[in-house]
Formats: sequence, structure tokens, C-alpha cells
Amino acid sequence: MDSHWLSLFDVTIDFSQSHLFFPRIVTTLLGILLVMILVTRYRRIMPALRHAGRVVGGREGSFDRKRFFGTLVLVTLYFYLMGVLSDVFPNTGYSFLIMSVLFVFSLSLLYAERLSRRILLIITLNALIAPAIAWYVLAQLFRITLP
Amino acid sequence: MDILSHLTPMFFTLIAAGTLIGIIFGAIPGMTATMAVAVCLPLTYAFGLVNGIALLLGLYVGGISGGMVPAVLLNIPGTPSSITTTFDGYPMAQRGEGERALKTGIVASIFGGLFSAAVLFFFAPVLADFAIKFSYVEKFLIILLALTVIASLCSNMLMGIFSGVLGVWLSLIGTYSITEGGNGEPRLMFDFMQYYLIDGFSLLPVLIGIFGLSTILLDAENGFADAPGQGRIKLQGGARFSFSIFKGQLVNLIRSSGIGTFVGMLPGVGGSAASVLAYSQEKNFSRDSSQMGKGATQGIVASESSNNALTGGALVPLLSLGIPGDSTTAILIGAFTLQGIQVGPLFIGNNMDTWYLMIIALVAANVLMFGIMYFAIRHIAKVIEVPKYILYPLIVMMCVVGAYAINYGIMFDVWTLLIFGVFGYVAQKIGLEVVPLIIGFILGKSAEVYFVKSIESYGNLTIFFTKSPIAVFLWVLIAVSVAFAIYLRVRNRRREASSLVE
Repeated sequence: MDSHWLSLFDVTIDFSQSHLFFPRIVTTLLGILLVMILVTRYRRIMPALRHAGRVVGGREGSFDRKRFFGTLVLVTLYFYLMGVLSDVFPNTGYSFLIMSVLFVFSLSLLYAERLSRRILLIITLNALIAPAIAWYVLAQLFRITLP
Repeated sequence: MDILSHLTPMFFTLIAAGTLIGIIFGAIPGMTATMAVAVCLPLTYAFGLVNGIALLLGLYVGGISGGMVPAVLLNIPGTPSSITTTFDGYPMAQRGEGERALKTGIVASIFGGLFSAAVLFFFAPVLADFAIKFSYVEKFLIILLALTVIASLCSNMLMGIFSGVLGVWLSLIGTYSITEGGNGEPRLMFDFMQYYLIDGFSLLPVLIGIFGLSTILLDAENGFADAPGQGRIKLQGGARFSFSIFKGQLVNLIRSSGIGTFVGMLPGVGGSAASVLAYSQEKNFSRDSSQMGKGATQGIVASESSNNALTGGALVPLLSLGIPGDSTTAILIGAFTLQGIQVGPLFIGNNMDTWYLMIIALVAANVLMFGIMYFAIRHIAKVIEVPKYILYPLIVMMCVVGAYAINYGIMFDVWTLLIFGVFGYVAQKIGLEVVPLIIGFILGKSAEVYFVKSIESYGNLTIFFTKSPIAVFLWVLIAVSVAFAIYLRVRNRRREASSLVE
């Protein structure tokens, strides 16, 4: 009788479908947990979303839209153009070097609180020198693959 | 001896360089040891295993130690684990005893670091020997236990569990690897994604995105306002540092280091938990705690010895079980994989030389950290003034190198960086817990293999309970950790309720 009872827990996994076995369990678990979260705090979700909308819209709190979205746009452009340019100069790292100089310079400009001639000079020098050093050390000395 | 041939000047130079860079990262508020390790990863591609490890361990120890600098001087913890250093460090700095506070912290740090290195050295091989006997069943239960402990210690248990499961889910995207005994079929994605995601998301770009890029996004949102203007703090002027501060502090040192090491071993429990625990224990047990919070050296000793003890502690489960103890060791696991090393129960036995070299590197990193910080603390204190508009663009640039080079030039890995950078940002905004998510992501694939293989070989679910006494013991531990979490929650709720009544 004992073995009969235990056979309730018998599981066989079809090898051709075995790649779905564990993901299904995890997905189900994730769904259950999500429902639990939504049920226990549905009252707080809508006000929080509305609040977030107001903050991002700049009507409430101190959300720096210029710097936040500027960062996202610059990083996306940096990655995209680096990919495009690396087809022009494959396996040299030139694409990385050129795009990094431009990216570091523009992101520094975006982040700087105020711009004096001295700060501008520091930013420019930093944008020229740092990527060049990184490129030289990594691509030339260490032979690391760069875009 | 083969080991001696590895102890080259290069080895020690890299440890020193790593420690120094780590201290600088730790000293800049918002930048952590994890970030230091992530940013410097590309450098390790070029070095061999031993030298790479030397650099990484230096970064780890330096990164944790550097956090005390802004904690004392600006009242801002440089890393989460130095939060309790601000309680006593900043009041001391206001009295003109900044240097005294920092040097106290430095001495406490090296004590904690060496204490935990000793624990690592003696305890990890024992644990690994024990774990070698584990079959797939026990290995699966160990991962389940790790995830349970992490999730149950989160501030919100439901969100913690959800984050951990989400991490596992994300790790399953890709194919069920043939090398692990799977059938090589893709899952959890649409057909058009197969070209990019055939191997799933790479671990390191995910980690670099979550810890590097999302930190920058979080800071960008705040617009880089200057640090709260408290004016310049005098390093000197008040009482001077002398080693007599440590008279009567031995119990405190050992207790705090022990707490730090133990908390470090628990997977996913952050550094702030260790220092807060050590600090509150010192407050409870010391003969005179009346000055704590007003600038007592004993508070700094408790805080700094415990957070440096984390380093050795967090390496214990990493090297003996293959389970990372915190976010920094999570990146270390990636770095090891990169060097072709599989961390797990067999690691120490199969790589004796590497194991000894790691211990040597860890001890050397602590000693060098002490040397650099003790004698150059005044110069390091200036680092916190380096503007972020110079640093952050360079960090993004280094993140790109790390992500791109990881699989020898895949542009999709760079996009992974952005995807998970944004994901990490949103996750923190909606209250997901990053650490369980990461640990779930790292362990998810192994969990699947262990789980599916266990069932394939035994064909019955009860095997997870009846396989061996160890399996039963692991279930007991899982139950205890859940019960303990519920107990803590109930107690806290009662305390809150009673304080409201008063």
C-alpha cells in the first residue's frame, strides 16, 4: 500500500519536452507571486503610478528630466553608432575610440553643474585623454577585442 | 613549490593597484566595491587566472574599506556597509578628530579582514569536502536554501521571493544546454529573438548593467546636486590617534569580526546588515555604550571590523559551494568562469595552488589596504572631491568594454548592458530586490539541471525528501529560515505597534 501511495508523486519527463519542464514551473510560480503582490497591494499601485507620472512629467518632486533622459539617449546613441562604425573599421577598436571621445565629452557636458572655461578645458582634456589611454592599454597592449 | 613561482612582483603590484582603485571607488559615495570589480573586469581578460584574481581581490577589499572615508568626513556612507561608521565617525570629524576616526577604522578593518581570511582558510575546505558528497538532489536543495535565506531576509518577503524567482526565470531564457544534458531546445522567447538569445543573457553584462549603469541612472535623476554642504571638515585639531584606543576593545573586535564573517557567509545578505548587527551588539553588550552615536571609537571599531570581515565570509560559500555570498562575489563568479574555472565543491581540491594564492592575495590585499590607507589617508580623503561629470562617463565607457569583450566581441552583450541597466533602475523604483534577483539569475540554470536530472533519475517527487539525511537536514534549515523570518516580522510589527501606543 505504501508504494501505491507514493506513486501519486511519480513524474516522468519526456526528453523532447524536457526544456519546458522547469521553465513552466517557474513561470507558474512567478504568475502566482505576481497575483499575490497585486492582490495584497492593489490599492497602492494606482496612486504610486500616478505619482510616478507626475514626477517624470516634472510637476512634482525633483526629477532631473534633462539629465535622466539625456543619459538614456546618449547611451543608446553611443551603443548604436559604435555598432555601425565598427563595421567600417572592423577589429581595430577605432570605432570604440572615436565614439568614446564623443560620448565622454557630451555626457560630461550634460552632467556638469556650471560651465566655466576651466571646467570646459578639463572636460575636453578628459574626453580626449581617457578613452585614448583605455584604447591603447586594452586594444594595443592587452589585445582585447574592442568594437 | 609551484606557488612561489606565481608570487611575482606583478602579483603584488596588481593587488596594490586593485586595492588603491578599490579604495577610490569605495570612497566616492554612490560607487561601490561591486562597481569597482565590474569596471575593472576587462583588465583581467588580459591577465592570467592568478594575476586576475589578485587584482579582483584587491578591488574587493579596497572597495569595502574605502567606504569609511566619506562616512567619516561627509556623513555619507561611501558603500552601504559603512552606514554605521557615520554614527560615530562624523561626530568625531566635527570635533576635528577626522584622522583619528579614520585610523581607528583602518586598524579595525585590517583586523576584520584578516580574521575572516583565517575563517575562510580553515572553514571553506571543510564545507567543500562535505559538499562533494552531494548528489543532484542535495545540490538543488542547497540552491533552494540559499534563495530562501535571501528572500526571507529582505525587507519585504513577498517582493524578495518574487525577485528571486524572476531572476531564475530570466536565467532560463535561452536553450536548455546540451552540455548540461539538456535537449538544446530554445524556450521563453519568440522566434525572432533566437538569433540573439540562443545562449541566453550573458551573466557579466547583466551584472554590469544592473550595478553600473542603473546606479548612474539613479544619480542622473537627482541631477548631481552637490553633496550636502557641511563645509570642509578638519582632519586634525582634536585628540590624536594612538593604538591605546584599542585597549579593552578585543572582545568588540572579535565579536564584530565574527558577526561580519557569519553574515558574509549567508548568501545575499548585504554589508549593511553586518555592520548594523555588529554595531547594535556592541551597544547591547559593552560596559559603557553611553557615548556611542556621539563619537565613540568603539562604534567605529564595531562597524569597520564587521564590514571588512564580510570579504572572507562571502568567499566561503562561493569557493566551497559555488554560491555567491553578496553582489561583489556574484561578479567574481563571472570572472572565474571567464578564466575557465568552475567554482563549486571540487574547486579547492582540484586547484590547490590557486586556492593558496587566493588566500595569500586576500591577506596581502588587507595588509596593503592598511599600508595605503594608514599612511596616505589625507590624500585619499581628497578623492571624494572628484566631480562625477568626469567619473561617470568613464565608468559607462569601461562598462562597454567589459560587456563587449566578454564573449570576444558580441554587440548584443553591449545592448544587454543597456537593457539591464534600465531594468535595474525600474526594478529598484518599483521595490524589487536586486540581490535576490541576481543570485536567482546566477543559480537558476544550475537549479534547473539539478531539479530535472533528479526527477529523470528517480521519477518521483518524494526523492527530494527521502534521498539522504542531508536532504532532510536541508529541509529543516529551509523551514528554520522561513520560521525565523516570520518570527522577526511578527516581533517588529509588535514593537511598532507598542511604540505607537506609547
